[in-house]
Amino acid sequence: MIVVNRLTKCFGAQTAVDALSFEIAAGQIVGFLGPNGAGKSTTLKMLTGMIEPTSGSATICGHDLKNEPIEVKRNVGFVPESGAVFESLTGLEYLEMVAALYGIPSNAARARIKQFIAFFDLSFATLTDKLLGAYSKGMRRKVVITSALLHNPPVVFFDEPLDGLDANAAVGFKTLIQTLAREGKTIVYSSHILDVVERVCHRVIIIDKGKLLLDGKPDELVAAHQSGTLEKLFTQLTGGAELERRAEDFAKTFRP
Amino acid sequence: MSTAEIKPPPILPEAVPVPEKVLRRLFLTLFLRGRGARGLNRSGAPKSVIEKLALTLAIYALFGCMALFFWHQPVFALATYLHAMTFVFLGMFVASSAGEILFNKEEADILMHRPVTPKAMLWAKIRVLVEVSLWLAGAFNLVGLVVGFSSNNNWRFPLVHAASTTLEALFCTGCVVLVYQLCLRWFGRERLDGLMTMAQVVISVAAVLAGQILPRLVMRLDHSLTVSETAWWINLLPPAWFAGLDDALAGSGMLGAWLLAALAVGVTTLVLWIAFRKLAGDYETGLQALGETISPKVKKQGNVRWLDRMVHLPPLSWWLRDSMTRASFLLTAAYLFRDRDVKLRVYPGLAPVLVLPFIFIVQGHSSHHASGLDNFSFGITLSGVYIGLVPLMGLQMLQYSQQWQAADIFRTAPMAGPAPICHGARRAVLCLLGFPAVLLVGSIIWLMNRNLNQLFMLVPGIIALPVFALVPMINGRSIPLSMPSDAAKAAGRGLNMMLVMFIAFALAGVAALAQSQGWFWWFVLVEAVAAVVIYVILRATINRASWPSME
Repeated sequence: MIVVNRLTKCFGAQTAVDALSFEIAAGQIVGFLGPNGAGKSTTLKMLTGMIEPTSGSATICGHDLKNEPIEVKRNVGFVPESGAVFESLTGLEYLEMVAALYGIPSNAARARIKQFIAFFDLSFATLTDKLLGAYSKGMRRKVVITSALLHNPPVVFFDEPLDGLDANAAVGFKTLIQTLAREGKTIVYSSHILDVVERVCHRVIIIDKGKLLLDGKPDELVAAHQSGTLEKLFTQLTGGAELERRAEDFAKTFRP
Repeated sequence: MSTAEIKPPPILPEAVPVPEKVLRRLFLTLFLRGRGARGLNRSGAPKSVIEKLALTLAIYALFGCMALFFWHQPVFALATYLHAMTFVFLGMFVASSAGEILFNKEEADILMHRPVTPKAMLWAKIRVLVEVSLWLAGAFNLVGLVVGFSSNNNWRFPLVHAASTTLEALFCTGCVVLVYQLCLRWFGRERLDGLMTMAQVVISVAAVLAGQILPRLVMRLDHSLTVSETAWWINLLPPAWFAGLDDALAGSGMLGAWLLAALAVGVTTLVLWIAFRKLAGDYETGLQALGETISPKVKKQGNVRWLDRMVHLPPLSWWLRDSMTRASFLLTAAYLFRDRDVKLRVYPGLAPVLVLPFIFIVQGHSSHHASGLDNFSFGITLSGVYIGLVPLMGLQMLQYSQQWQAADIFRTAPMAGPAPICHGARRAVLCLLGFPAVLLVGSIIWLMNRNLNQLFMLVPGIIALPVFALVPMINGRSIPLSMPSDAAKAAGRGLNMMLVMFIAFALAGVAALAQSQGWFWWFVLVEAVAAVVIYVILRATINRASWPSME
């Protein structure tokens, strides 16, 4: 479903993503992990056609990213980390606008939107009357997730999707993506909340400084590195050694 | 009635939405409502903007009444005036709106992963810019169309002028888009954000300056201006080309008019071709650059680093002894140098305040030579007092920011009220805008006359400067960067400015009178005492002020 081959992105002299290669089959949920500045968001932005790779190639649902960018975009849904929306539109106006960009007629779009608002416990009145700028962070995130799934894409990229969602919505969301994966959708899930990744994802890809560090099933990787948990494995791999001791030392500096 | 007879209405296949139309509707809605949320409810938001737009159109229509001065004048004279003013208004509008419409950072995260091409986005945005430009142009030219039609019973004029104004709107929009694309092509995507700001500030300031100078220039021209009698340099100005189109098709029809008309059509076509065909790829590059997460490094030797060192050296270290005031000074300086939104509001906003003193000086200088009256001294005094408005306006505009919510951090700091923050911002504006403006005006006056006595005429303005700078912060208002950008469009500020300008003019008049009567220095002494008293009172109100309510 997703084939990435030596994908590279340079910003001037700085290499953000360095010859990254992997393949993801249909129906998989893949955790895409890395410390801050590892190149996760840049990779996701390349795979969704938002920025152009410096070199390398990728195909999504058989469409080449470079030569068929519009076809790729038709087949992907993306929840960006920023959760940006047009704040001066109402939730309904925003979602209908997004649906129209994918060629979904108004009536069909509204029926689909109603399914989503029922799932997310949003009221239709809120969606029609309130401008998005007045929504809480969680409500706005629900609208962004809806906008990524409205056109029923076979591939979905989530960048910190739980940010702002309350515990109930987060549980519902995790179940949703597991069900979507069972129905054959490919899900790439980038997050810093590692215990959620460990529970939800079939496979994790860990990158640092733009390079691939590890790729495999979470339990197998944890066992192979004898780290106990995915969180410990992550800190081992990405230079977070002695974090606890450093935190204790730093906390001591607060003593009067 | 059997169930077989009740047939549901036939379901017509719904039309599949066309992305280009969806985008056009989206960008027009965003333009009319603003990018930020203006209210909690849908009903409140667009209404206020439409009312504001209607008021703007009414003001433009009112300005257009100046065309009545061209009653029974040749088509070329009327058309030159109308196109010159339209050019300025459209230039100001397109320059101030284009950057935000064409390259919006958040938009990349919302639209760039959707199945729409950058070209479709560019065209949708251009259509919105041209559409709104035409509303503004239509309002301004309304009276002109009637004058052109009625005064010479010329039925062709309204039709031809409407067409030439549309062409002019396309030309203005094309030029601004071209500037952005050339910046992208020549300087690369790494410097896009800084360049966009620079280009937008320069275009906005140029348009504002032209708005001040061009009407004076056109009104000074002989009203019976025709193509054959016009000064050669007028033909170099774009408004003359479009006026030539009017004159060729609805006026004299002379060869000169046809040549200007050909120039209007040719240059507009060329600009549009380069902007939307030749360089369209650069727009995609620009959009992608906005989606990149790498931010440019702050230059080590940049202005703010330089200021960082200066605040620790006398005399600034004496003036900024309080750490909170110093922090506010540095924050304000950083925004004045770096933040696109603040720069776009402050510098074009200050341009008319800065250009008027020069007009006063030059007008006073020329009439001084012509009539022998001491208008030059009055011009200097007026410009001195007017320069005093620079920090006042600067501080008023600095209270708005796109990151206004970050200003909550001031409230969590251990301060009883906003006084230290206000004082820091005031001092930064005085240092970085007020004092340099006084120096500039002083140098120009000295270069024009080399007369120390006339330079002293700036003193009343310099004395008033610190008082004017306190005015926006009375009772702890105008906390820097603490209000949403959209609130900057509120109309209430204009009234305050009118009042302060009236005081400025009165002060300049009294100072000029004192100089002509030989008691100038006595006047300066009285003004200084009054300024100290007012300064102390105003400062006390600011120091006593508590934080305004957050609701």
